[in-house]
Amino acid sequence: MATNPSTYSPSQSSERKQLQQQRRRLFQETDWTRFDGRGFQQCRPAFLKTGAASAASGSAFAAFGATKVIVSVFGPRESKKAMLYSSTGRLNCNVSYTAFSTSIRGQSSDHKEYSSMLHKALEGAIILETFPKTTVDVFALVVESGGGDLPVIITCASLALADAGIMMYDLVSSVSVSCFGRNIVIDPTSEEEACQDGNLMITCMPARNEVTQVTLTGEWSTAKINEAMELCLDACSKLAEIMRSCLKEAASAPS
Amino acid sequence: MGEMEVDRADGRTASQLRPLACSRNTLHRAHGSARWSQGDTIVLAAVYGPKAGTKKGENPEKASIEVIWKPKTGHIGKLEKEYEMVLKRTLQSICLLTIHPNTTTSIIVQVLGDDGALLPCAINASCAALVDAGIPLKHLAVSICCGLTESGSVILDPTKAEEQKIQAFAYLVFPNSPLSVLSKGSSAEDDEPIEHGTITSVTHGVMPVLDYFNCLERGRAASAKISEFLRRSLESQTK
Amino acid sequence: MAAASTAGGSGGGGGGAGGFGAGDMEVEAYRRLFPLPFYERYLQNYVRPDARPLHRARDTSVALGPIASAHGSSSVKIGDTTMLAAVKLEVMTPSAEAPDEGSLAIEFHMPPICSPTVRPGRPADVAPVISKQLSDVITSSGMIDLKELSLISGKAAWTAYLDIYCLNSDGSLFDAALLSAIAAFSHLQIPLVSLNDDGRVIAVSGEQLENNSTIELVNKEKRKLSFQSIPFSLTCVLHNKYILADPTAEEESIMETFITVVLDSMGRLVSFYKPGGSVLVHSSTIKDCISLTKQRMEELQNILEDSTSAMEE
Repeated sequence: MATNPSTYSPSQSSERKQLQQQRRRLFQETDWTRFDGRGFQQCRPAFLKTGAASAASGSAFAAFGATKVIVSVFGPRESKKAMLYSSTGRLNCNVSYTAFSTSIRGQSSDHKEYSSMLHKALEGAIILETFPKTTVDVFALVVESGGGDLPVIITCASLALADAGIMMYDLVSSVSVSCFGRNIVIDPTSEEEACQDGNLMITCMPARNEVTQVTLTGEWSTAKINEAMELCLDACSKLAEIMRSCLKEAASAPS
Repeated sequence: MGEMEVDRADGRTASQLRPLACSRNTLHRAHGSARWSQGDTIVLAAVYGPKAGTKKGENPEKASIEVIWKPKTGHIGKLEKEYEMVLKRTLQSICLLTIHPNTTTSIIVQVLGDDGALLPCAINASCAALVDAGIPLKHLAVSICCGLTESGSVILDPTKAEEQKIQAFAYLVFPNSPLSVLSKGSSAEDDEPIEHGTITSVTHGVMPVLDYFNCLERGRAASAKISEFLRRSLESQTK
Repeated sequence: MAAASTAGGSGGGGGGAGGFGAGDMEVEAYRRLFPLPFYERYLQNYVRPDARPLHRARDTSVALGPIASAHGSSSVKIGDTTMLAAVKLEVMTPSAEAPDEGSLAIEFHMPPICSPTVRPGRPADVAPVISKQLSDVITSSGMIDLKELSLISGKAAWTAYLDIYCLNSDGSLFDAALLSAIAAFSHLQIPLVSLNDDGRVIAVSGEQLENNSTIELVNKEKRKLSFQSIPFSLTCVLHNKYILADPTAEEESIMETFITVVLDSMGRLVSFYKPGGSVLVHSSTIKDCISLTKQRMEELQNILEDSTSAMEE
């Protein structure tokens, strides 16, 4: 975090570092309370809404605590001219952040890593054969980043795909956990993610009991991995229920 | 500062334009080109086309106009993007776009000198270059910059130093139509003659509404002079 | 929709382009194939396909404070056009030319989610142009006194970064962006700062202030910006003699001549923007557009007041 010497900003980088170390020590202990008062195995309240953007074929908005994401789906539409013929449809994903999404103002930019991870998470769930020769574009904008961004993006994107009427084998839901010493904490905030020892994210189609993506970072024991996976899968299926009821509500509401 | 008489650094009266100069066919590889200068503001415009095909997103049933702005130095920024857009839309409105459907005509604008009223100068240069390239036009267009001083008087064709000093200014584009190939303009059903209309208006700075109308009137009156100059220089070089 | 199609029907009788009568074709197909004749049938009856009279703007709503992490934020909806704006303040050293002034940095973004025509990596052509116009209008209108952003003369001043995101694009983007900018600035709460021992400016939280009454604040007052005059805008598209206020994206694409008028609260002209277009404007049209903008300004002032009072409740 190099600060430009010409700026005069109220930076407290040394204090911030101290604070982080304090937290890291705190999180190692067996018993601590999370800043938002949640239990270790308690997810943030999920707010989901479909169909906010009229310019898109389908769209969804997700707010999980401080994390707010908008996803618009365009298509199926004509593929780029340079693309070769394909008998199955194509999926194109892009994730970008707003300039004000994080506490330090950055340049709004594309997130290449998340774009490709979103693509991989969704690709297996979409029935690409139903739109040959064409492309479905899934564009996500992280309005505010408050931790657990990628799982929220994936969940929101699958809801937007459903809103656009794109054929899928099942809804895709995603949940992540952070590992601190002996503790596993579900659906971490960005403060928690900043000092985690490891992270596990699962993306799955709960109704089919199929996992489309697993990412694991940091140091884990096998037993821990099992425990974390169970937690995530259970949360995923519950999240999918919320997604389903959101879609049902939108379908039954008079448009 | 005088009430109505404005002191200008170069000794001009309020409604006096800087010396105009226009030469056509200055570039050999372009399909048409023109160099237009108003005092030390000099712009070179080159026209390439019509070339086959339009870009994605453009209406293929019409000819497409593309404007590329080349600043004197440095990179193209937001200001140049705005100039490109205003220039493109202004030229679109004077070209007969239905004659060459599904083609693209590129206008490249190279700034050689900027001493105020840059966009009007570029519009005048592009218009002359379009004529030079033989692109079918509904009518000619002439552009002028009207400045509004702190005392509320209008000065025409301000220099860069004047532009920075004045309260507000307006870039205006008027049609020059008495010899139009169209017997009736699209707005001929209006009672007002076509040359009283405004094609383009871009303003900077706050001004009372009345002063804007004043600018329009003064600009339109002066545009007749530029029109006449443009016509004369086009005719003299077509022989 | 039902009301609109009856209006179209009553326009009736011949005039169908390309040899088709309207009756031979579904309304939606006719609308797509012959957009201009479709619109002209409505315009004859002084109504638009969305049942609006020509001079009426779409429903407009303003919400303050949607972005918790920003110092000021707003979301604005004009019809289906949605904008999200946030202001973040950072302390900078003021420039030598203006030691008593802060600065503004305004950026308008059109992310790919907002419209089918924007693709990642290829920004929309209009985004930088709207960015520039917003900067010009906000700066030249004198809405924000940059001196109010000064903290310590010559040493520290705020730079206000205003980022506006178009979340859904359906016409009149500049109007919605300007309204969201004004709303975000009116919601702006300048954070309290004090000097630390090294002479650096640091933020002070409310908690710190309660615990330690010896903290000397640099900016005890001046927590809100006082607006000198506020610019309001209205975009109209022109077609023949018709003036359509607050056009949708469809209307903008079919009738390509548009005018954006910006007036300030004192009724002065901040900008009269008409970039080309096939329709020429005469002074009567200019006057009409200016008076429509005046009417719109009153509407917008009320909407803004309502949003601030809704915030305070």
